[in-house]
Amino acid sequence: MANVWSNLGDWVTERTPGMLPMYRKHMTEYYAPKNFNLWYYFGSLALVVLIAQIVTGIFLTMNYNPSAAGAFDSVQYIMRDVEWGWLIRYMHSTGASLFFIVVFLHMFRGIIYGSFKRPRELVWLLGMLIFLVLMAEAFMGYVLPWGNMSFWGAKVIISLFGTIPVIGTHLVEWIMGDFLPGDATLNRFFALHVIALPIVLLLLVVLHIAALHEVGSNNPDGVDVKHGAKGNRWSPLAPADGIPFHPYYTVKDLVGVGFMLLIAAFIIFFAPTLGGWFLEPDNSIAANNLVTPAQIKPVWYFSPFYAIVRMVPSFMDTAVWGVIAMFGSIFVLFAMPWLDRSPVKSIRYRGRGYKIALTVFVIAFLGLCAVGTDTTAEVIPAWFGDVDVTFWENLFGRLMTLLYFGFFAFLWAYTYFGWETTKPVPDRVTTHD
Amino acid sequence: MTKRQGLLRYFVLAALTCALGFASMAQAAEEGGYPSAGTNLRDQASLQRGARLFFNYCVGCHSLKYMRYSRIGEDLGLTEAEVMTNLNFTGAKYGEPVVSAMPMGLAATWFGKDPPDLSLEVEAKGADWVNAYLNSFYLDPASPIGWNNTVLPNAAMPFPLWELQGTQTAVMAPGKDGQPGTVEKLELSQAGKLTPAQFQQATRDLTNFLEYASEPAALQRHRYGVWVLLFLAFFTLLAYALKREYWKDVHEV
Amino acid sequence: MADEVVDHGRRRFLTVTTAAVGGIGVVAAAVPFVESWQPSARARAAGAPVTQSLKKVEPGQQLTVAWRSLPIFIVNRTPQQLATLPTLTARLADPGSDSSQQPAYAKNETRSIKPQWLVMIGICTHLGCVPDYKGKIEPEPFDPNWQSGYYCPCHHSHYDIAGRVYKNMPAPKNMEIPAYHFIDDTTIQIGVDPKGAA
Repeated sequence: MANVWSNLGDWVTERTPGMLPMYRKHMTEYYAPKNFNLWYYFGSLALVVLIAQIVTGIFLTMNYNPSAAGAFDSVQYIMRDVEWGWLIRYMHSTGASLFFIVVFLHMFRGIIYGSFKRPRELVWLLGMLIFLVLMAEAFMGYVLPWGNMSFWGAKVIISLFGTIPVIGTHLVEWIMGDFLPGDATLNRFFALHVIALPIVLLLLVVLHIAALHEVGSNNPDGVDVKHGAKGNRWSPLAPADGIPFHPYYTVKDLVGVGFMLLIAAFIIFFAPTLGGWFLEPDNSIAANNLVTPAQIKPVWYFSPFYAIVRMVPSFMDTAVWGVIAMFGSIFVLFAMPWLDRSPVKSIRYRGRGYKIALTVFVIAFLGLCAVGTDTTAEVIPAWFGDVDVTFWENLFGRLMTLLYFGFFAFLWAYTYFGWETTKPVPDRVTTHD
Repeated sequence: MTKRQGLLRYFVLAALTCALGFASMAQAAEEGGYPSAGTNLRDQASLQRGARLFFNYCVGCHSLKYMRYSRIGEDLGLTEAEVMTNLNFTGAKYGEPVVSAMPMGLAATWFGKDPPDLSLEVEAKGADWVNAYLNSFYLDPASPIGWNNTVLPNAAMPFPLWELQGTQTAVMAPGKDGQPGTVEKLELSQAGKLTPAQFQQATRDLTNFLEYASEPAALQRHRYGVWVLLFLAFFTLLAYALKREYWKDVHEV
Repeated sequence: MADEVVDHGRRRFLTVTTAAVGGIGVVAAAVPFVESWQPSARARAAGAPVTQSLKKVEPGQQLTVAWRSLPIFIVNRTPQQLATLPTLTARLADPGSDSSQQPAYAKNETRSIKPQWLVMIGICTHLGCVPDYKGKIEPEPFDPNWQSGYYCPCHHSHYDIAGRVYKNMPAPKNMEIPAYHFIDDTTIQIGVDPKGAA
């Protein structure tokens, strides 16, 4: 019996001689640093969520009707008439939000451990491209149910492009294929969301992992294990601080997957709307181009970027500055490898100024989230009573915007002019052995 | 970082996530400032009473176009005969959706607005809002239909439950600086068939039924969820044991 | 650095157990997706049983109703039509309905619950056309000794008044009988077997 399998294995290997070496290169002989911590789970979790979104998305597509007339009804058809349709839908909506939680934490890991620095700039750039495509994918996915938030969210976001001088109006009409978001818009968003962007995402993810495996993984100490001490218990030539990705990190990531599925299952089965954060009540009303929802705000994962749009005022008769600032807030992240000029990768060995600046950045990001989700608009009158909410929200939001961009400016100056005092980086990784 | 610190981080993260979930749910319950409707989807008797109220008082104008009679029967423990006799006044077949006989368009000319479909009303507005709305109608001579509502001022809807609740009138607070007066509170000026406490129960039942209609799957979700969580917890523990076994090689604990 | 002895047995046990439990999880997770292909509530409602009154169907007359988008022939068979059935055994391909589809309670000579009433899916078993009802016992151009029954216009298959196919026809089998039962003497419901029927 075992003979059959090994014969089959030999048959395949003779015809695809590169497969087994590839498996070794990427799994059993990919030596990853042995000191990965909690922050290192989110890459594999993002991959799991991507696959889950694709599988649940395929099954949703089997019953979804991408026309403006039928889309909303088809979602209710899935929720009520299709066997287990409600579960598949909730998996997809929960997965969308989980995707961003995981990706934000994954990106934050890259920042705190300097994983974007040389030689991993390409890994970082590809990751940032994935993030951009993911945002487009999520935006289009949100339009598909054609609820009232889908419609008005689409209208507002697309109209941001209308602020671009000269070409703005034509650009907006071109994006929508109509004079307001309608059947044409919905159909093309469907095509992009279901097939075009997922293909692009998968391609980028493959490149992202390939680029990483070429240069090897970073680690919480920022120690270069690849060019450091050699020789471990699996191979005398491999990095001393490296361990084979398979089985050690496959088995460890499995635990992480179990944990994430627990959280996901709790949300899916007991709180699928998560109090309106994951599925918004205004989207339970069918799209109506004559009635705007009381509060237009984007889904939570777009909130900090949308806050920046709102906080930057109009000048010279155009609101394009807010749009430029919003895209700028994402593009500035692309530039991280060239802004942060410190030779030290990990926050563990960096100067106090950096740690303070990063803390301020996180506070600014969360503050912008609060503004974008209209939390500040609710909290200010609740805490401070009868005050000019707009004035104070603008003050707070603009401060947070300045702090957000200020972090990058500070980081560049701090490292370019050599104001940072770093600690010595060890030769070997530190573990809690 | 020691192993204890690492473990602590895991638990803190999990606890934070759960707390976030609960907090947002709690916040959602308090939002809008309406008293809690007190609905309980597991109370099948309440759902049945709510269904009867809906089909007796609401379906004349309002559809539940995403709900089928057969689904209501299955979920509420009613036989086909019971549904067709006691609930189906629209002449539909058992498997067909609940569509009101009220002609749309014409209704808009009569009332000012087409009576909206209520399949997702609770999901859109929340159970507390719907329950408060049902309790907040009052006679208003200034209104074209004779009724008004403190939760949705100038609603185009006449009050169908006045037989049960009786009629409320508004006690007005005088307006300031020439502004029109505002409604200070509502008083029951004429009693109905039910006592106030009974009427509160009736609206709770009706809201309960509408909450079910918004998301019929909610009746099953919780049941499956318990098993799924138990299974995943078991699997995660197993995976953890497997991880620790292999990581002995790495001399990690 | 103490070199611990690897307990291979424990490793194998844990690996196999985790893989098995994981496999159960994957199968359990697959169930909703596979089940989502089952006919939805909307499809089931559209394919729901059809109730039909027999009061207006005269003797010798056929009524056609739709059930699950299929034509259902309901014939009020006359005693003369019924009398033809035993005489045709030699001319039929499957007089005992052994290889055709019908419920157990319709596996008899009249292929029905009550001899008088034929309830049958009106689809020719050759390539799916709807055969013509030729209820009169009189010579026909396609058969000088016609004993009433059905004639399919597409490829000329002949059936008797119980839907049984003649020998040497393009059609291989007798026409199908659906599940049905009598709610009362003058009403049938198509799509549901009688209570307690096999």
